[in-house]
Amino acid sequence: MRIFGAIRPPAVGPFRDDAFTSSARIERTAAILGIALGVSFFTCFATGLYSHLAQYPPSWLHLSARPAGLYRFTQGVHIATGLASIPLLFAKLWTVFPKLFAWPPFQGVASLLERLSLLPLVGGAVFLLFSGLANINLWYPWPFNFPIAHYWVAWITIGGLVVHIGAKISTTRAALRRGGADTIGATTTVEPNSDASVAAPVNGMSRRQLLATAFGISGLVTLVTVGQTYAPLRKLALLAPRRPDVGPQGFPVNRTARAAGVTEAARSADYRLEVTGRVPKPITLDLDQIRAMPQHSATLPIACVEGWSTTQDWEGIRLRDLLAHAGVGGSRAVRIESLQQHRSYRSSVVDAEQVSDPDTLLALRVNGEALELDHGAPLRLIGPNRPGVMQTKWVTRVVVL
Amino acid sequence: MTPSTHADPAPERAGITFWIALVIGGGIMAFGIRGVLDNLSSSVTDVAKWVIGAALIHDFVIAPIAVGIGWAVGRGVSMRWRAPIQAGLMATAITVAIGWPGLRGYGRHLVPDNPSVQPLNYATAVGTVVGIIWAVVAIWLIARALRPRPVPATHPRK
Repeated sequence: MRIFGAIRPPAVGPFRDDAFTSSARIERTAAILGIALGVSFFTCFATGLYSHLAQYPPSWLHLSARPAGLYRFTQGVHIATGLASIPLLFAKLWTVFPKLFAWPPFQGVASLLERLSLLPLVGGAVFLLFSGLANINLWYPWPFNFPIAHYWVAWITIGGLVVHIGAKISTTRAALRRGGADTIGATTTVEPNSDASVAAPVNGMSRRQLLATAFGISGLVTLVTVGQTYAPLRKLALLAPRRPDVGPQGFPVNRTARAAGVTEAARSADYRLEVTGRVPKPITLDLDQIRAMPQHSATLPIACVEGWSTTQDWEGIRLRDLLAHAGVGGSRAVRIESLQQHRSYRSSVVDAEQVSDPDTLLALRVNGEALELDHGAPLRLIGPNRPGVMQTKWVTRVVVL
Repeated sequence: MTPSTHADPAPERAGITFWIALVIGGGIMAFGIRGVLDNLSSSVTDVAKWVIGAALIHDFVIAPIAVGIGWAVGRGVSMRWRAPIQAGLMATAITVAIGWPGLRGYGRHLVPDNPSVQPLNYATAVGTVVGIIWAVVAIWLIARALRPRPVPATHPRK
């Protein structure tokens, strides 16, 4: 790479030897933040993958209906971890920022490939955290489908992260072992065996103070947002886009009846529930007939993919009772269809195990009151361990598959 | 000899670990890129713009501003008070960033009939969190003020 010796950027701005002077910018800082981000990104990836599989279950995978609150937990962790990663990623990128201006820009093929993999890693990481934050606020400033883009960019980012870990694992080990006194940016040399915090010139935050600040902000962000899923902390949820106790009948709504365009059909006296598909005797029931069936109650969480969740007491008919009423023997998977037209979440599949679960209800009531329109009146699906978007509202058809 | 600017002190030898990780990570990346091409075929360039744009906006807008503010604090604030103020500024920036959609009402605008989205007054909410941050900074500053200044070794007191 002799060429980089001959061609050099002028020693101005970030290319000056003494451009970056903070003593917090040492390999040990980068290593500790890197490990924390590795843990948080793999946690987000695993929980995100689970959420994806729960919504688009492949034929080879069966996702259990129990524990009932599993999705609530994994998705709560997904959003909380993503939010907590924001200050850590910012601190990490700040720590390694001088490397962006490193000269020579690469030394050999391995170094070139490693640096190229940083573009999808950094771009992907910033994109995932930003798009996730926007999505939990129902803000979509881009022209593409959010869940699909967030999901596939997550694979690209995790690929970049695997490459990065392979490239940095020995630096990280070394930095943790010998105190990581190697500076990033400043050319001030530090004796290899000395304690960095003593020997390095102190300019602003020390390494410990930077780490304490980054992890402290991470904790603060968690404290003021996690109440959207963890009810005891709901009063502290100052930066959360939802409160689990705010909304009609005391809990949030994702899509209103008006936004879904179902107000008239849901209120109509002509409302009917059909059971069709592979059934011995297709049936059509009006509301009085549904109310006349045996009513059951279940205490179940509703857990939105956007990270808020809340447990409510639901009451209605068991899905399995309805199928038996239509002459379906044994347990079968069904597709539940909404009055809502033309949207991807207008129907959802309930697999055979979930259908047979005694808590899987078509609910008429919540907390002792008739469901309000925005919560899916006259009839909504509620079942254990299902993403919120699959707790279909304004149910009008059950298709046996 | 040409001095090297900000080079890693010991340029890393690419060991077998790197090449294995490159194959695995590269495969995962290729799977993700294939997924974007197959599932977002009509908006591939938009997704690419947003992902690459995220890196560029971070590296050439957000990071320089952050570094610039840190530099300005280094120039304008005495060494003694610098760390707490830098920490306070960083916490404030993150708080405002996370509260930004709520402050601007970006989600609310799209669902005017759904009062359960962004139900709080986010100016008050963000203001409260920022207030708590600076209260902690103030305590940190007071603690520093009360601590005796370290005596520089090179200038022993007469």
